Amino acid sequence: MGGSVGSEDGDVGFQIAPMVDVVFVLLLFFMAMAGAQTSELELSINLPGGASADRTAPKSTPIIIDINPDDSIVVNGKTFDSPSTKNLVQLQAWLTETMKMFGKSDPVIIRPAMETAQERIIDVLNAAAAAGVSNLSFG
Amino acid sequence: MPEEDPDFQIAPMIDILLVLLIFFMTISSTQVLQSNEQVKLPVAAKAKDPKEGEGDGSAIINIVWVPLGNAGQITYNELTVTDAAGIVAPLRDAISKSPKIRVIIRADRQAPYSFVRPVLVAVGQAGSSNITFSVINKDDN
Repeated sequence: MGGSVGSEDGDVGFQIAPMVDVVFVLLLFFMAMAGAQTSELELSINLPGGASADRTAPKSTPIIIDINPDDSIVVNGKTFDSPSTKNLVQLQAWLTETMKMFGKSDPVIIRPAMETAQERIIDVLNAAAAAGVSNLSFG
Repeated sequence: MPEEDPDFQIAPMIDILLVLLIFFMTISSTQVLQSNEQVKLPVAAKAKDPKEGEGDGSAIINIVWVPLGNAGQITYNELTVTDAAGIVAPLRDAISKSPKIRVIIRADRQAPYSFVRPVLVAVGQAGSSNITFSVINKDDN
């Protein structure tokens, strides 16, 4: 391509080959960027807050997930996973099973210790979301 | 020009390249708009995509946490406070204007619950119960 760049008549004209080169490089750049990109996702909860908090009495027994100061997760006196695991497989399996038995409308209340980092709370929210819990709140 | 070989057509190729280029340019620039760089979001793999366009828009609360000083900052729109009680009034205004607004909390991964909890309480006091936590799908560093 482009063998006759400087022709004798001086009329160079629009060179398409370099343009394709540049476009191709740009395309590769943005494709590579798209792969490495981190996207922002969301985890929703229903806050028992504000005006509606006091009026709605719990319909059924809530499941209370405690997060202790040492990052261990305790439900009904039973400890799930270890404080250092990020992917809470046991908690997720247990929640999935419980949701199957008692229905998804049972409220799940997360009760973190005051010094619990946001990251640990999100781990629990993540497990709950994966288990299909729909009625999440904080205690 | 009779009997010429149908040589390589460059114009359609450029068309396609440009379309691809524009596609990848747009998807890589949509996410950068509203983020506060001081906030390092926690990672959660199972989170869902944001439900854009549903309800009445969103109110974004950034919670910045500086572990060294053991102190945090709460930002809502242009308002920056250190005490969550300060965002109740502006949030209540926003919620009364559009009751179905989604409150999005972008909390730093190291922010302790003792600092995040007052924000949840403030959102509750402002009259919304629809809270969403922002997370990222994978670690970006």
